[in-house]
Amino acid sequence: MPDRLRGVDHLLPLKPKVLHILLALADGPRHGYSIMQEVAARTDGHVRVWPAAMYGSLRELEELDLIAESEKRPSDDDERRRYFALTPLGKRVLSEEVRRLEAIVDHARASRALRLRSGQALRKERA
Amino acid sequence: MKAYTRMLWLLRGRDPQEQRAIKEDAELLLQDARARGRGAVAATWLALMWDLIIVGAGYDLARAFRSLVRSPGFTLTVSLLLGLGVAATTTLFALINAVILKPLPYGDPEQLVMLWESNVPQNRLREGPAPGQVNDWAASNDAFESLTGWWTAQATLRGREGSAPVQGVQVTKGFFEVFRRAPLLGRTFSGDDYIGRPSIPSGRAGGAEPILVLSHRLWQSLGADPALVGGTLFVEGRNWRVIGVMPADFAVPDLNAAFWTPWDMRESYNGPRFPDGPPREARFLRAVGRLKPGLTLEAAEDRMEVLAARLAADYPRTNAGWSVQLVPLRDEMIRSSRTELLLVFGAVFCLLLLVCANVASLSVARSAARAREMAIRLALGAGRTRIVREHLAETALCAVLTAVVAIVFTTVSMGAAIAFAPADIPRLNEVEVNASVVWFSIAIAVLATIIGVFLPGLRGSATAIASTLKDGAPVSGQNASRVRRALVVAEIAVTVVLLVGAGLLARSFAGLQRVDPGFDVQNLLVLRIAPDVTRYKGAPLVTDYFGRVFNSIGELPGVASAAAVTVLPMSTIGSDFYRPYWLEGARPAGNAEAQANVRMATPGYFNTLGLPLVSGREFSAQDAIDAPRVIIINESLARIAWKGEDPVGRSLILDYQGGATARQVVGVVRDARYKGPRSDPSPEIFIPHAQNPYLVMNVLVRTTIDPAALAQSARAQALKVDPDQPVHSVTTMERLLAATMQEDRFAMLFVALFAAAGLLTAATGVYALLAYTVAQRRREIAVRMAIGASSSSVARLIVMESLTLALVGCVLGALGVAAVSQLARSILFGIAPQDPLTLVTTAAVLFTVVLAASWLPARRAARINPVAAMRL
Repeated sequence: MPDRLRGVDHLLPLKPKVLHILLALADGPRHGYSIMQEVAARTDGHVRVWPAAMYGSLRELEELDLIAESEKRPSDDDERRRYFALTPLGKRVLSEEVRRLEAIVDHARASRALRLRSGQALRKERA
Repeated sequence: MKAYTRMLWLLRGRDPQEQRAIKEDAELLLQDARARGRGAVAATWLALMWDLIIVGAGYDLARAFRSLVRSPGFTLTVSLLLGLGVAATTTLFALINAVILKPLPYGDPEQLVMLWESNVPQNRLREGPAPGQVNDWAASNDAFESLTGWWTAQATLRGREGSAPVQGVQVTKGFFEVFRRAPLLGRTFSGDDYIGRPSIPSGRAGGAEPILVLSHRLWQSLGADPALVGGTLFVEGRNWRVIGVMPADFAVPDLNAAFWTPWDMRESYNGPRFPDGPPREARFLRAVGRLKPGLTLEAAEDRMEVLAARLAADYPRTNAGWSVQLVPLRDEMIRSSRTELLLVFGAVFCLLLLVCANVASLSVARSAARAREMAIRLALGAGRTRIVREHLAETALCAVLTAVVAIVFTTVSMGAAIAFAPADIPRLNEVEVNASVVWFSIAIAVLATIIGVFLPGLRGSATAIASTLKDGAPVSGQNASRVRRALVVAEIAVTVVLLVGAGLLARSFAGLQRVDPGFDVQNLLVLRIAPDVTRYKGAPLVTDYFGRVFNSIGELPGVASAAAVTVLPMSTIGSDFYRPYWLEGARPAGNAEAQANVRMATPGYFNTLGLPLVSGREFSAQDAIDAPRVIIINESLARIAWKGEDPVGRSLILDYQGGATARQVVGVVRDARYKGPRSDPSPEIFIPHAQNPYLVMNVLVRTTIDPAALAQSARAQALKVDPDQPVHSVTTMERLLAATMQEDRFAMLFVALFAAAGLLTAATGVYALLAYTVAQRRREIAVRMAIGASSSSVARLIVMESLTLALVGCVLGALGVAAVSQLARSILFGIAPQDPLTLVTTAAVLFTVVLAASWLPARRAARINPVAAMRL
């Protein structure tokens, strides 16, 4: 069965750590250590993934066909490193998950009781 | 990093490439952290280790879970068995925790001691002190910072919904200083509050306003309104100001205390009847003192001894020979229960050990069954540590399940344990499943699982690969097998002791029920009436009131007669008066008079009770207040005082209310066992109620139909006479009789429960051992069958083994029974510990159960297919 016909609902929602790993791979292939650093950088160090758990997750994601070992690798790299990249199915799962989260966030914003500031306002404030 | 590398074995199951990647990345992370300082290194290292442990253990747990799900029989059996054992232990722990271990709910409770008076020459031990003594002790101030005495009075509380009987506690000065407990609401009594207040039964008017502090329980039943403080309650015909409410666990002397009220002893013992102030011979108070800080119990005892000697010199008539005993309040409260509870706890713990032994036996059998699987895995390169780790994870899962089972069962059984426990165990109300109970349960569950599952299973990992794979030979040697056999024999022996105990207690209980209490127990209804002292003053009013009550109840169909007495046989309510008597002109010197229980009875009481007269007559309406003083005595007294001559028509002098007066004996009644079948009859004197119109009476109704069916209507008929007088404690004589045997019933049920548990343990033990033996001897049995042994002879082989175990166990058990038989003699009633019927029945039950337990393994042995068995 071609990937795009396969349903992804049964894989959602993603566990937070898995979501972070997939997001780290969204911009291109990375090796394990780089995934850990990327996740820490994206979340200002609030979310960390650690090697034993991460490689377990990577193996599971590989088995689920959400990521695959990538052939593309920088020329200056240690050849023993394994690089991982999102598969088309992985990309779909990620975007479905983001859409699901977006719906939740929209719903939360619509609720006036919470008085959430929009992302824009928040960024301005920080600046 | 070295530690991390070493810990990587946790991930042995993983792909080596992955392991290497994990290690390298961990190194990189640590290098990064080094640039950020030592704190970062430590934090990173901890996080890495945690990551490794969680991931590694999760992997093992998942495997263990799968393996347990694959063979749920073992897991469930083990968790259930261990869980029940742990639950029993935990329940007992909860009881002990509440009754013994938890400190008393008073400030600095270790300073509190209870005081008793004893007269060793007269063999009167541990009597509650007399008011005169309490007064002097409190005033002397030698050993105690503060000292208080109290007594409990029945009172009638009248509210919007009618009247209710309550217990009021009259406390002397210093009560709340002694117990050091702050009120929940309002305040407690201070110095002036004790002066000039009327006591509960005093009908006297005037004086200071009556005040009281409410118990939490009564406050709750009145609606728990904080505004009650400052308001008034109508008790015993007058209004009392409520000044405070105590917390729920303040229960002095017990939970039945409804309120506390100050008692001005001098006010009570004032007037011509008490020329010397508070009396010294009426020993009925309870006293508790708070030791001076730093004073030891021994030092305090010495000082009190000096004081007692001085009082004996000053008041020889009342105090000669009397000494004071000091008992820590804590010991006093748990006096009788402590040994019992600890013994029971020990027994339960032994049971738990038996269960552990059994589970261990099952575990060994299981690891033997899995020996081949283990050997194959070892041969294929699985490390021993990995197998041990999996086993550890399995144990952990078992422990969790066991703890869950245990906590659930504890919660369920707690209610039952409290309901079954004798009511005289103090502080039972404080028993609960709290954090310490849950932790205890978890700790015991873990311990039991380690003993029962982990340690025996370790053998499995020590499998010798070659021999196991070669021919399926026995895994554990002869030695282990002998140990397990000894365990089973021990289980059987303990079970024999328990079974004999249960059998003896059951026979003894049956014997108790057959004892003739002296009167006709059936078809008797009992109710208690406590009329208001302010409304019914004087003999004619009281006699008239009770007469009308009897008539009113007599109108009911199914009622034969009705009468009343101050203290009923078998009943715990009502006050007995133990008074001196002597024959005319024969008063002994000093204070060595013989004593008898004095009770007031209405006409027709003995007829209603069904207690036959030996000679003379019953009381009649003619024995009124202005008639000659008469009494009825029981056979015991007749025997002691007149030594076989007929006492009817003779006189006896009784020192009771208003001094020593001569009273003529008009009748002699048969002896009754007043305090239950175990009690022996004691001398008794009955006074016509009309000649001493006591207010609080137990009404007795002889019915021709089931008395319980008449309970409501009889109460209604009594209330018809005067709806304001409380009628309560309606019950039947049969129930009262059963209540006197409550402890015997408790002991019987308890031991029976134990015996059943022991039997179950022994049965599973025998089963596990034989099943294991059959598995081990598979090849041998196959060979026997191949050379011509029949299935039945093989089965016989297995059954014989079980019977040998049972026989040895029985013999050892019999020795155990002989050892504890002296102890049992004191508990048993009318039966010897060597009762042959019990012993034979026990042996029969045991052998039946053991045979039943060996049936399955024997059948399995008989069905071994020689060809299939030998092929392996």
